Amino acid sequence: MSSIELKTGEKKSGGINKVFSKKTVIGTRVTKPDAPDKATGKTIYINDMVLPRMLYGKILHTDRVHARIISIDTSAAKALPGVHVVLTGEDIPLLKFGTMRDNVPLKAGKVRCIRDEVAAVAAETEQIAAEAIALIKVEYEDLPAVFSPTEALQEGAPVVQEDHPDNRSLAYKFSHGDVAAAEADSDIVLEHEFVVPYVTHCCMGPGCAIADFDSAGKLTIYSQTQYPYNYKMDLAPAIGIHPGDIRVIQPPVGGAFGSKLDVYPFEPICALLSKASGRPVKLTFSREEEFINSPTRQPAEFKIKSGVNKDGTLTFRSVDCLMNNGAYTSWGPTTPIIQMRTFTGHFRVPAVEYNGLAAYTNSVYAGSFRGYGNVQATYVTASVMDMLAEEVGMDPIAFRLKNAQDPGEVTPQGSKLDDCKLKECIEIAAQKTDFLSKHETYAGLCKQPGRIKRGIGIATSIHNAGGAKIHKSDGCGSILKLDDYARATLITGASEIGQGIDAVLTQIVMDELGIPKADVTIVNNDTALGPWDVGVHASRTTFVAGNAALQAARAARKQILDAASKQSNVSAEEMDLRQGHVVQADNGVSIVKLDKLLRQMHFADEPELVMVSEYFEPDSELEDRNHVGNLSATWAHGAYVAEVEVDTETGEVKVTKITAVQDVGRVINRLGIEGQMEGGISVSLGYALSEELLIQDGKVLNPNFRDYKVPTAPETPEIELHFVESDCKASPLGSKGIAELPAIIPAPAIANAVYNAIGIRFFAPPLTPEKVARAIHGATTQ
Amino acid sequence: MSLEIEIGFTLNGRPVKVRVPPTMTAVSMLREKFDLTGGKLACGEGECGACTVKIDNRTINSCLMFAVDCDGREVQTIEGLGSVKGLEIMQQAFVEHGAIQCGYCMPGMIMQARYVVDQNAGNEHKVTRDDIARGLEGNVCRCSGYTKVVDAVAAVVLEEAST
Amino acid sequence: MIENYSVPSSVAEAAQLLQQGDATIVAGGTDLTPQTEAGARTFASHLVNIQRIEEMRGISTSDGRFRIGGLTTVTEILESKILAEEIPVLVEAADHFASPQIRNAATLAGNLCNASPAGDMCIPLLLLDAEVELASWVDGSVAIRSVPLAEFFTGPGKTVLQAGELLVAVEFRQPAKGFTASFQKSGPRPALEISTVSMGLAAVLQDGLLTGVRIAIGAVAPTPLRATATESTLEGRALDENMISSAVQSVQQEVSPIDDVRASAWYRKHLTGVYIRRALSHVAGN
Ligand SMILES: Cc1cc2nc3c(=O)[nH]c(=O)nc-3n(C[C@H](O)[C@H](O)[C@H](O)COP(=O)(O)OP(=O)(O)OC[C@H]3O[C@@H](n4cnc5c(N)ncnc54)[C@H](O)[C@@H]3O)c2cc1C
Ligand code: FES
Ligand code: FES
Repeated sequence: MSSIELKTGEKKSGGINKVFSKKTVIGTRVTKPDAPDKATGKTIYINDMVLPRMLYGKILHTDRVHARIISIDTSAAKALPGVHVVLTGEDIPLLKFGTMRDNVPLKAGKVRCIRDEVAAVAAETEQIAAEAIALIKVEYEDLPAVFSPTEALQEGAPVVQEDHPDNRSLAYKFSHGDVAAAEADSDIVLEHEFVVPYVTHCCMGPGCAIADFDSAGKLTIYSQTQYPYNYKMDLAPAIGIHPGDIRVIQPPVGGAFGSKLDVYPFEPICALLSKASGRPVKLTFSREEEFINSPTRQPAEFKIKSGVNKDGTLTFRSVDCLMNNGAYTSWGPTTPIIQMRTFTGHFRVPAVEYNGLAAYTNSVYAGSFRGYGNVQATYVTASVMDMLAEEVGMDPIAFRLKNAQDPGEVTPQGSKLDDCKLKECIEIAAQKTDFLSKHETYAGLCKQPGRIKRGIGIATSIHNAGGAKIHKSDGCGSILKLDDYARATLITGASEIGQGIDAVLTQIVMDELGIPKADVTIVNNDTALGPWDVGVHASRTTFVAGNAALQAARAARKQILDAASKQSNVSAEEMDLRQGHVVQADNGVSIVKLDKLLRQMHFADEPELVMVSEYFEPDSELEDRNHVGNLSATWAHGAYVAEVEVDTETGEVKVTKITAVQDVGRVINRLGIEGQMEGGISVSLGYALSEELLIQDGKVLNPNFRDYKVPTAPETPEIELHFVESDCKASPLGSKGIAELPAIIPAPAIANAVYNAIGIRFFAPPLTPEKVARAIHGATTQ
Repeated sequence: MSLEIEIGFTLNGRPVKVRVPPTMTAVSMLREKFDLTGGKLACGEGECGACTVKIDNRTINSCLMFAVDCDGREVQTIEGLGSVKGLEIMQQAFVEHGAIQCGYCMPGMIMQARYVVDQNAGNEHKVTRDDIARGLEGNVCRCSGYTKVVDAVAAVVLEEAST
Repeated sequence: MIENYSVPSSVAEAAQLLQQGDATIVAGGTDLTPQTEAGARTFASHLVNIQRIEEMRGISTSDGRFRIGGLTTVTEILESKILAEEIPVLVEAADHFASPQIRNAATLAGNLCNASPAGDMCIPLLLLDAEVELASWVDGSVAIRSVPLAEFFTGPGKTVLQAGELLVAVEFRQPAKGFTASFQKSGPRPALEISTVSMGLAAVLQDGLLTGVRIAIGAVAPTPLRATATESTLEGRALDENMISSAVQSVQQEVSPIDDVRASAWYRKHLTGVYIRRALSHVAGN
């Protein structure tokens, strides 16, 4: 709980002056301001909203993976009582949108994957909408389809997007140093192939949008988006209106995790239904629709070649990444931007190269998902690091320490590791877990008989921790105002998707202005009010929005203290704001109550309101054309250790403990940071052991929680967290972004632990019981 | 008109009457007929627990139950757990332990947590974290990773054991 | 489209209603609701909610026979003191079943009548040579017939239940002295997991010899399977490594699993082998 409370200090002789001691709430456990309503069921999420005169939208998704649309008969649907609008791709102009402008809201002429939207209905009830959808008849002519990126790149493969006859989508190339020479000079060269699967976010709140056009042609959209300001820009072409005519309102959402960092067709469809019907329209996905239609994490095939000298020095790393783009391009195939940084800059590797290519197929398409490409890169690199260590006869700790960078080093792509804590993280992780002795013991027992094998494994990674400049601006605006009662409202561009920025910003305002938690309100759900922000992604919100709020709070504080100093003989520097009072900083004696001062300022001859606006732009660089530049204002490392038990008969892997050590700059909200770490670890546990969206010939085989297994409470391991703290220079707050590394590193630590336990390496997560059992027994049984 | 059945039951302590189609699920009835939107329809298949409510002292997935079967029973939703005066101790514990992030799963999770602890009333000293986790095995949370959820429930167990 | 909804309060009333035909029985609804919502199944015109038939609830014993009412929930089985003492294998199966909320709603009759090859409660009941009691309305009164559970299932989702019949109760004899049984189910989750394979094995080990061997396996055949050939392989034999190995071989031949999204046939066979070993060592250990 917040530690600011109005406490009466010792009374001075006259009994009038109160004394307030200095207290900070930074680093303490501050509960989320929105938690009580969430605990009592009062919070109205977007999925719970009903607007007057609202209609319900529903989409007819195709059941084909690649087909020409011969005809769509909507007559029966249109005739159904209660149906207001039925739309097909033929009824709307060509509205191209998306990263590569290769998607349209409703498909005309042809469908390219199982998600394709061929018609949509708005009706008076959800049930009528569903009945109407069932009455639409579509005639198709199937086309040859291609599902594997390798096949898609072959001559004569079916063409998915006519504008890209070679099926090539985005490509990335980076190289540094002389890789060929380094390879020739290396004592040992290893080559490996990895395949990482489709996984999906599983936001507990299924996809939902409510669109409401007004009579002047302006759109208000209630959206789950995590990037409301750029969302307007991306949504506009999909509806055919000006971005300025869109107002985005963000009601509470049931999770996002990166899945709402792009525009997906259901949103413009919802808007088009509203435009056509003149009514607000709500469109909600069922869980099955959510599994099939929401973006996945980018699946990929990696070929990695690595070199090392006998003394354990890394010599080169060369990576080919082939991505299944799916039929349209969302953010998935852009994730090499971050992924590359790990391949080229995690550990000191003198010569590196990376080649990434995405190929169009008739499969589903990927978006961004907590970790943004680094989940895949870290699974690969952390596995390879262990293999290299074993090859040169070093233990996993010593090998990593040997190749870890020191503070001040710059990676080949220009990531500045000014305050690099990689070695510290590794050392703490090893020491806290008694890593080396366990690792040796378990490795010794690995080949002995026994049903249960134990293992321990480590993995490390690096991630952007000071935003990520993938747009020209990576900043955030903050407007702070105080009313006559010393209640503060912070209007920020930063969205709340459950991650807890509301608590962090509240703390910052409390701390600078010396007011209690209950007196701070955060407003961040309406683009008509809020100032610009890039969005909740890249672990950036506490870093960027936190510093923007700090700037605003400091500006307000200065204005207040200047006013107070005009009234008293005390200079602003000698004053402080504590517990609702302006006080003398040295002894804490109250000079004036804050609310009284604010009223005096407001009602003075020259009236003054405390109302400031600030903008924080992190000190980072856009990449140049060769992918070089300090993309993030600061970088952070983490070292995670997993301990496992493997049932060698059934193949079941049980993770017993995760020890996480992470460079966090400075802890702002202890409750929040722990929650982000534990939650991230859970997502990574699923990636390691159980989660895979199974897609066969373009169709999703397991669109439900029954067969897509997210971790539950009984599978959750014991978790021990260690924060490596040191004020981060790039951040006035001192904090670094933290929320993605926990979703990135545990999976390969688990895989390395399984190797330690049973001596088998898994090149394709998840390590399902069947996969593990096959690896152990496949050769002997049948 | 399609068939509707009139049923009467006790909802969060108050008697109610309502007409529902025979195949309407309880979660839909609670959300649509009573505006009790705390419980969520997050999967509709019994796999996530977001729709958990208590019926006659047993929690169930209200997405699997037909509304008509509420007839004559006592139904408690998350909205009926606390009071207008404030949060019930389990709700308070979830807030204080930082168990709630997006919160979408929480109405169901908290209802189930309350049930788990009630089931062990008088036996609190024997309840382990594993027991709590097992009691929550039907509730999916994608944000919290469950650790703080179990912390919160364990704290309530301790608190109620000492009173 | 449902035209009629009834809530009978006795078996007799229910049987009369069902005799009128075209009815869908609903108990806990945990199978029926998802199946109908997904469109995998449609309702008949008459929905009969049997939840208010009190005589179909509860667990009782008399004359060395156990009787479990069809509406008894999986939770009630899990919490039953008498079952925990006398027939722990039933409680074990209940403990691996779904989630607490589903156990609170799911009825025994629903689990059996749903006839999923992965139905968990079928397994221990097959070990116990249980019989199901089916009621119908014949010539103005309730007629009861008993069917051995082993003959009850005819295919996935299919049973010998006739239109108009209601599963009222399950009965089985108190097992012989020295009877030990075990239940195993694929993990790694303790529950909320549709079985990839579940297995029950029961036997009496006397003077080093196995008698009354029963093996039941879920999710490896179109119905919950009694592995009778393997049972006879083991019957009357001593439990040594040779015997265990031939039991593994035999049982793997007896099952006919399929590949699906949850597991391959190979893995199901493999697990069958693992579980029979474990089950036999459990019996040997008791
Ligand atoms: C998330 C989830 C997890 C699950 N996990 C498991 C699991 O781990 N193990 C497992 O075995 N099952 C599991 N199930 C399946 C289900 O819960 C059980 O089969 C349950 O026992 C069904 O009982 P019910 O009372 O809910 O049946 P209902 O859904 O009410 O009925 C099931 C079927 O039986 C018929 N029926 C019901 N009662 C009678 C009767 N007395 N006479 C004649 N016909 C009748 C109905 O018409 C219907 O066809 C799970 C289900 C869900 C949704
Ligand atoms: S909505 Fe009922 S269990 Fe998921
Ligand atoms: S708090 Fe978001 S799903 Fe549980």
